[in-house]
Amino acid sequence: MSTLFRMRSALRNLFKKEKVERQLDDELRSYVEMAADEKVAAGVPASEARRRTLAELGGVEQVKQAVRDRRAGSSLDTLWGDMRYGWRQLLRNPGFTAAVIVTLALSVGVNTAIFSIVNALMLKSLPYSEPERLGTVFTRIQGSATFDGMNDIDGEQWELLRDSVPSLMGAVTSGISSGVNLVAAGSVQYVHAGRISAQYFDVLGIHPAMGRNFTSDEDRPHGPKAVIISDILWRNAFHSDEHLIGQAIQLKGEAHTVVGILPAGAQTPMNADVYTPIQPSRQGEGGGSNYEVIVRLRDGATWQQADAQINQAWANRAQRITKEFHPGSTVWFYTVPLQKGQTATLRPKALTLMLAAGIILLIACANLAGLTVVRMTRRTGEIATRMALGASRWQIQRQLWIETLLLAVIGGAVGIGVGFLALRGLLSLLPRNYLPVAGVPLDARVLAFAIAVSVLTSLLFGLLPAIAVSGIDLRSFMSSRTIAGVERLRLRQFLIAGEVALTLVLLAATGLLIRSLIHLQTLPPGFNPNGVMTAKASLDEARYRDPAEFDRLMKESTAAMKRIPGVESVGVGLSVPFERELNNVTTINSGPQVGQQIVSGELYVTPGYFEALQIPLLTGRTFNDSDRRDTQHVVVVNRAFMSKFYGGANPVGLPLSKDGTTIVGVVEDVTLPPHIDNVNDPLGIEPTAYIPSTQADPRFLSVIHVWFQPSWVVRTGGPIDGLPGQMQRALADVDPSLPFSGFYSMNYHQAQAIATQRVEVALLSAMAGLALLLSAVGIFALIANIVAQRTREIGIRMALGATVRQVMASVAASGIRSSAAGLLIGLLLCMVTLRAMRSVLYGVGVYDVPSMVGVVLVLTIVTALAVLIPTLRLTRMNPVATLREQ
Amino acid sequence: MSSKQTNLLQGTLDLLILKSLNTGELHGLGISRRIDQMTQGTFVVKPGSLFPALHRMEEAGWLNATWGDSENNRRAKFYRLTRAGKAQLTVETEQWNTIALAMANALNATT
Repeated sequence: MSTLFRMRSALRNLFKKEKVERQLDDELRSYVEMAADEKVAAGVPASEARRRTLAELGGVEQVKQAVRDRRAGSSLDTLWGDMRYGWRQLLRNPGFTAAVIVTLALSVGVNTAIFSIVNALMLKSLPYSEPERLGTVFTRIQGSATFDGMNDIDGEQWELLRDSVPSLMGAVTSGISSGVNLVAAGSVQYVHAGRISAQYFDVLGIHPAMGRNFTSDEDRPHGPKAVIISDILWRNAFHSDEHLIGQAIQLKGEAHTVVGILPAGAQTPMNADVYTPIQPSRQGEGGGSNYEVIVRLRDGATWQQADAQINQAWANRAQRITKEFHPGSTVWFYTVPLQKGQTATLRPKALTLMLAAGIILLIACANLAGLTVVRMTRRTGEIATRMALGASRWQIQRQLWIETLLLAVIGGAVGIGVGFLALRGLLSLLPRNYLPVAGVPLDARVLAFAIAVSVLTSLLFGLLPAIAVSGIDLRSFMSSRTIAGVERLRLRQFLIAGEVALTLVLLAATGLLIRSLIHLQTLPPGFNPNGVMTAKASLDEARYRDPAEFDRLMKESTAAMKRIPGVESVGVGLSVPFERELNNVTTINSGPQVGQQIVSGELYVTPGYFEALQIPLLTGRTFNDSDRRDTQHVVVVNRAFMSKFYGGANPVGLPLSKDGTTIVGVVEDVTLPPHIDNVNDPLGIEPTAYIPSTQADPRFLSVIHVWFQPSWVVRTGGPIDGLPGQMQRALADVDPSLPFSGFYSMNYHQAQAIATQRVEVALLSAMAGLALLLSAVGIFALIANIVAQRTREIGIRMALGATVRQVMASVAASGIRSSAAGLLIGLLLCMVTLRAMRSVLYGVGVYDVPSMVGVVLVLTIVTALAVLIPTLRLTRMNPVATLREQ
Repeated sequence: MSSKQTNLLQGTLDLLILKSLNTGELHGLGISRRIDQMTQGTFVVKPGSLFPALHRMEEAGWLNATWGDSENNRRAKFYRLTRAGKAQLTVETEQWNTIALAMANALNATT
C-alpha cells in the first residue's frame, strides 16, 4: 500500500512537476502570510512582522529544497536535473568542452589502438582448441654467452622429440615459408605453401572438413606426394569440387594427391594455401637447425614432465652446444606457451608502445586537470551564488562530478572512434604477416579498456575541482569578489612542468629512433639501387632439379629480358641486397683460418648480376659464360669475406675449398640483414661468397629452391611502361608455366628490411607529436588564463606607467619557469630511462648530443610560442578601457 | 549512534504531527502551533523540518491534503489523517509507550 502510494507520488512528482512546485510555493507563501498575521495581531508593525517571519523560516528556497529532497523519486529527478544543468554548462563553454573532449578522445584513442594490438598479441586466446595446451620449445644458454629464446631444431632433435617425449605431441614446420606454383584449371598460379610434419593439424586441433591429415608414410623422405589445401583455395581454384579428394593436382611441376581440405575459416600460424609434408630427416634440410617446432601437451601430462623429458632426450645436443659454441655454459630447454613463443620478439615493442601511450594519458590528465582548475576559478562566482541560494557542498560536488562523467562518456566514445581509425592506420603501416595473428579486433576487452581509461582519466582530473569546491569560502568570496589564485597557479605550474618533462622523454626517445632509422636508410648500399626492378619466381619445381634445365632457364630468360627495349643489363641471383641471404658452412682451404669451418653467406648469380646491380669489382674478375659445370669451379667473395677470412689480403687465386673452387674476384660489400636475427643491426655487412649459377651443386639446387625464390634483376636506362608485363612475357617465352610471384623495387626491399624500425619511428613520432601538442595547449591555456584573470591588475600597472614589455614579462614568467623546470626534470628522466633503449638503437649512442639538442630546441620553441601567443594580447590592451570595463 | 538519535527524533516528529491532526484538519502553521501547545513549548517545529515531514507523510499515504480558507481568510493547505494515518498513529503511540515505559523503568531501577 505504502509502496504503491510512494510510486504514484514519485510519478506525479516527476511528470506533474510544475503543479507540485506551484502548490509548494503557495503553501509556503500562505504559511509566511499567516505567521506574519499572527505577529501583526500581537502588535508588531506589518513590514517588521514579515521580515521576522522570513528570518525565522531560514530561507524559503532552503525549505523548498528540503521538501524536494524528501519527495519520492527525488534522487532520480535531481540526477536528471543535474545532468541537464551539466549539459547546458558544457554547451555554454564550448571552448572548454571541445578542449576536454578532443584531449580525451586523442589520448583514449591512442591507448585504445595500442591496447588492441597488445590484446591481440598477448591477451586474446589463440584460435585453436585448448590453446593453453599448445607450446613451443625455448633454449636458454647461460654462461660465456647468454641466449634465451626460440631456436630451430634439426632432424635428430625432431626424431628424439617425436619418439622420446611421451608427454607431448609435436610437429615441425619449415622455418622459412615460401610459395609454389600450382596448375589448376589449365592455368598456373603462385600460392603460399607451408611444409608441415604429419601431426601438425592434430597438434593445432584442426580436422580437415573433407579427407584426412597426412599419414606418417607420407611424411617419410621420398614418401608419396600428398597435399592438403585451404578452404579458400578449394573454392577459388577448384570451384568447390566435391570429388577433389584422392585426385592428383599439379604442384611444383609434379602430381600431388589431395588428401584433405581444411574447414572454412581454419587458421594456422602459417595461413598457407597449400600444405605439403615436410618429410623430415637427418640429412639435407634436417642436417641443420631448420625446423620450427610446436607441441601439444597430451592429456594427463604436465609441462614440468615435458620439460624434463625434453632435456633428457636432447642431452647430447645440449652438450654439443656447450662444447662447440659456448664453452663453460649451461644449456636448458623448456616449453613456453605458443602465444608467448610467437610474440616473443614483438612483446617488448608492444609494451614500450603501451608505456608511451600511458605517458600520453598522464600528459592528458595533467592538461585536463589544469583546464578544469581554470574552469573552477571562473565558476567560483556561480558556485558561491548557488551555495548562497541553499545548495549544499555535496550538491555542488555532485553537480561537478556529473559534468566530469558526461565529459568522460563523450570523450571516451569519440576516443573509441579515434582509436578505431588509428588502429586501421597503424595496421596499414605494418608489412604483411608482420603480426602473427589473423586480425586485430576491437573486442569487448578493448572497449572495456577504453571506457575504463576514460573514466579513470576523468576521475583523476575531476578530483581537483571537487577538492577546490571544499575550499570555497562563501563570505570572503562575496565580499571581495576576487579569487585567491596563488595556490591554484602553483598547482598548474607543477602540472605543466610534469607535462613538459614527460614530453621531453618521448621526444628524446623518438629523436634517437629517427636517428637510428636515418642511419639505417643512409647506409652506403654498396650498389646502385636506382633504376632497378626485380622479380621473383618459385623454382621449387620438379624440372629445375635438373641442372641442365636450370642452366637453360637462367641463360634464355636473361637473354629474353635483355631484348626488352630500354633494358641495359639483366642478372639472376638467389637473393638480392637488403634481403636475407643463405647461410652456409664451409671448410676453408686457404688463408689464416685454413682447415677451419667458416660461416658465410652464399648465393648463386648469373654473369649479369654484378653489372645489373652495379656492384663494383675491387680486384680480379666476375663471372662470364665460359664458367661452366665442366670448367674450373670459381667463386667471387666480397670485401667483408676478404677482411674476415684473409685478414684483408688479396685472396684472388687461392683455393676456397678442398674441391678446388678458386677465388677469382673480390667485389664491394652490399647492405643486407644479418645472418642471425636480433644479434646485430637490422642492416649491415656480412661475408658473402658468390658462385656462378652454372656451377651450383645439383643437390644444393634442389634444397635451396624450397626455401628461396631467386630474383631476376633488370636495370633500365629510364622508366619503361609495363615493364613487369614485358618481363613476364619474356619469362613465358622460355617457360610458359613459370609465373613471377611478385615485382619489387630495391626501395621495397630496403623498406622491408627495416620495417620494424619504420613502424617504431612512425608510431613514436605520432605519439611524441601528440604529447608536444598537448603540452603546448596546456601552457597556452595557463598563460591565457593568467592574462584573463589579471586584466584588472595589468590595467592598473599599465596606467601607473609600466611598459607593455614589463607586463608581458611578468605574465610570461610563470609559464617560462614551469617549462624550464619541466625541461630539467625531463633531462634527468632521460638520463635514467633512455638507457633501456640501447638494444633498439643503431649507429647512434643513448646520449646522443645532436638529437638531444634538437629535441630540447623543438620543445623550447614550441613552449616559447605557447607562452608568447597569449601574452601578445597584452600589446593590444587599452588600460583605460580595461579599467572602465572591470 | 548518531543515526539512531536522528531516527528517534524523526519518529517523534511524525508522531507529534499525527497526534496534532487526530482532532481534525490543520494547515502547516496550525500544526506547528498545536505541537507547541501540546508539548507546552518543549518542541518548536521549524518550517525547515515541518514541511519536508508533511510532504513525506502525505506521500506515504498517512495524510491527505486539501486547499481551503484559514480563520482569517488566507488560502492554505489543510492536512488531515487518512485511515492509514490513524492506524499509524495507533501503532506509533503503542511503540512510543513501550519505549517510554522501558526507559522509565530503566532509569528508575535501583542502582
